[in-house]
Amino acid sequence: MISLPEPDTRTLARRREIAAALARIVPDGVAADDATLRAFDSDALSAYRQTPLVCVLPRTADQVSEILAFAAREGVRIVPRGAGTSLSGGALPLADGILLTLTRMNRILEVDLENRCVVAEPGVTNLGVTKAVAHAGFYYAPDPSSQIACTIGGNVAENSGGIHCLKYGLTTHNLLGVELALLSGERVRLGGKSGDCGLDLLGVVAGSEGLLGVVTEATLRIIARAPAIRTLLLSFASVPDAGRAVAAIIGAGIVPAAIEFMDRRCVDAVEAYCAPGYPKDAEAILIVEVDGLEREVEEAVTRIGAIARGAGATSIAASADEKDRARFWSGRKAAFPAMGRLQPDMLCMDGTIPRKALADVLERMTAMAEEYKLGFCNVFHAGDGNLHPLIIFDVMKPGELERAEEFGAEILKLCVSVGGVLSGEHGIGVEKKALMGEMFSEIDLAQQERLKCAFDSGGLLNPGKVFPMLHACVELGHMHVRGGRLAFANLPRM
Amino acid sequence: MRRVRVTNETEAAEAVRAAAADRTTLEIVGRATKRALGHPVFADAGLDMSGLTGILFYEPEELVIAARAGTRLVEIEAALAAKGQMLAFEPVDWAALYGGVPGQATLGGTIAANACGSRCVKAGAVRDHAIGCRFVNGRAEAVKAGGRVVKNVTGFDLTKLMCGAFGTLGALTELTFRTVPRPDRAPALVLRDIGPDDGLAALRLAAASPLEPTGLAYMPRGIRPEYGRGAAAIRVEGAAEAAAEKLALLREKFAGHETQILDDAEAGALFRDVGEGNFLADTETDIWRLAIPSSAASAAAREAGAALWLADCAGAVLWLGLPATEAVATRLRGIAARLGGHATLMRANEGARASLPVFQPEPAARASLTGSVKAAFDPLALFNPGRMYGNV
Repeated sequence: MISLPEPDTRTLARRREIAAALARIVPDGVAADDATLRAFDSDALSAYRQTPLVCVLPRTADQVSEILAFAAREGVRIVPRGAGTSLSGGALPLADGILLTLTRMNRILEVDLENRCVVAEPGVTNLGVTKAVAHAGFYYAPDPSSQIACTIGGNVAENSGGIHCLKYGLTTHNLLGVELALLSGERVRLGGKSGDCGLDLLGVVAGSEGLLGVVTEATLRIIARAPAIRTLLLSFASVPDAGRAVAAIIGAGIVPAAIEFMDRRCVDAVEAYCAPGYPKDAEAILIVEVDGLEREVEEAVTRIGAIARGAGATSIAASADEKDRARFWSGRKAAFPAMGRLQPDMLCMDGTIPRKALADVLERMTAMAEEYKLGFCNVFHAGDGNLHPLIIFDVMKPGELERAEEFGAEILKLCVSVGGVLSGEHGIGVEKKALMGEMFSEIDLAQQERLKCAFDSGGLLNPGKVFPMLHACVELGHMHVRGGRLAFANLPRM
Repeated sequence: MRRVRVTNETEAAEAVRAAAADRTTLEIVGRATKRALGHPVFADAGLDMSGLTGILFYEPEELVIAARAGTRLVEIEAALAAKGQMLAFEPVDWAALYGGVPGQATLGGTIAANACGSRCVKAGAVRDHAIGCRFVNGRAEAVKAGGRVVKNVTGFDLTKLMCGAFGTLGALTELTFRTVPRPDRAPALVLRDIGPDDGLAALRLAAASPLEPTGLAYMPRGIRPEYGRGAAAIRVEGAAEAAAEKLALLREKFAGHETQILDDAEAGALFRDVGEGNFLADTETDIWRLAIPSSAASAAAREAGAALWLADCAGAVLWLGLPATEAVATRLRGIAARLGGHATLMRANEGARASLPVFQPEPAARASLTGSVKAAFDPLALFNPGRMYGNV
């Protein structure tokens, strides 16, 4: 079970006063009654719920600045939130914390086709960016599965990926700049249309899970849509065969837009759910998508087909038209709901492993599932090694949530032990913070926490997330620097 | 200056511990090929990292390589080339620019200076390909960050922070990179005898096409006599057929212009010269680099007023041969500030680099943050004091 920082009783007692102060900043955007607040009590990691102290919904960057400055002045914790689609509890509220919800800051500020970028407020949805430029043949590449709802601010916080990262990168690779509101109320520009200079603070803000500052504006790279896209559906009699095919495709120097893997359990579940017509009796299937110019794509389809045959594929189909493509993808995209209906509850895990470890990891996971007596399946962004085991359970059955969480934790430890990481694209949030020690030493973690202190010396911004233990900045030897100068720089400190 | 040469991470940490104990500042160097970039560092001692060499692992099928920070870039590139791969950001060593011998630059120095070439217009910079590292911080602790896989949101991305930090935050000991397959073909189309306005507009048009160009440079009159009023070079990549198709589409798009096809070797040489700054390097001039939105490139080039200049990255990067004077600094920084960009003094004598800001000065709130971040890694300000800004 997770632990959150102990609520501050004095802050809890000041709820009305804090709500009134926030209402002076955002007159029409403060909720402080329990009925309304319950709507914000969790994100997509819905096993965990906590009603916030108060929720504020600013419309402008100036309001965000004022809210942060207020929180810093009063020593009140603050949790930023976009659409609340985090699967790791990154936006889980705190009982004594202001929930800073950014969904009303949802304007596209600029579409600059000549410089191939869009400037957007943090509450614009991921798909909203693409919609703003689709008419001109452009799109925004990162495509997390929640893209219809999730917001750009949240994408920056979690460094969101999607199925096309192999070729087009994650949020961080498509993010040119942000305006970041700091707890001081000041706003700094990190990068922009011309990229950044100085220390790469933009690089650490991407994926910082709302611990460093609040994004009030983001400049995003858009790219021209490829004229041709084709998708192959490949099936295999064994997981190692599918793994070999992935290695061979990449080894041949092909960079597909996506390579998705589904195991037999997952295929069975989606066949029962929406009948995409996937090959029967396949132990594993791969969906491989290639994009580019017509002839380039044709050539890649031919080569991938030959490679798959060489790796022992039991069936190979290439999309002839958009209808085929949609059908091939329909099963993959229905994987979550298809698994979800088999049991009342589901945990979607997220780790990354070196691709070569796939067969071994899946085999060991199957053994674990038997031990924990839980159903599960695997979808896998095979191109970049990002694994999403879906564990199904029933929270009403005593002990099942705990067993599911334990199983999930064991899977992530396994990922780390084969050279992988705890999170590929969902973030650590509250879900995985207890596991950070699997990957990092105390020294490694202290260095990261010191970076947080450089942005937030009071530990007010999204505390209780990412790090297994909360340390006060003074414990870490943090020194406050003002105007680039360290006070008493000649004193010995280590 | 005393120089401590270390050959492994433990020795590096020892050297930093000793420096911290007696408060001696350290200039971190690899093979010292880019010492002339940044403010001159007057440290008490040198920390020579060039003895930390060797590839730690290279797994071509996983598209990943890890090496010690003092490993020479040419060794890495040779190992990758043997397996048909490369670093996507087209690393440069700026040897001609700083009067060095090509092939000496180390991996650590390349990261610290974020030294990438023309391909970054498509592939991103060094920071987009470095996925993990180890370094010794100013507390003499060996710290690990990131991992060996690309998709990773496990804690803060400290590896990116090390890219372009010029050794002000820590002494890098190990680095892990993602690699990409080397394309079968990488030819270029050159539009000849084309002025800056039209040439840069052509590059922007190509950048916005689905042809995924991996080099977009403009060379005005005076760079090469045979180019007449100037030349716009567009590099494309792919398997043989795809590359040919892309060239054909470009020719169609720019029908009416005088064009020339460069084969892979010629295109590679041209873009190497662009990324390395070679067209300006062998002159006596001081050199600035201006980063701006590409749509503003021709106007900014005019306003900058350099006789010798060229544009990379579709105009988002301008190399300018201009003196390192207060007046030029004010002019370029004004242009950069107005356009939301930045100007860097790439080459000048030590005196000029001591008196002028080398990097675009930061607004107060940002400068304060930079100082806090520096202190979070190097609380005693031991490393490369003042290389970038103030004591950072």
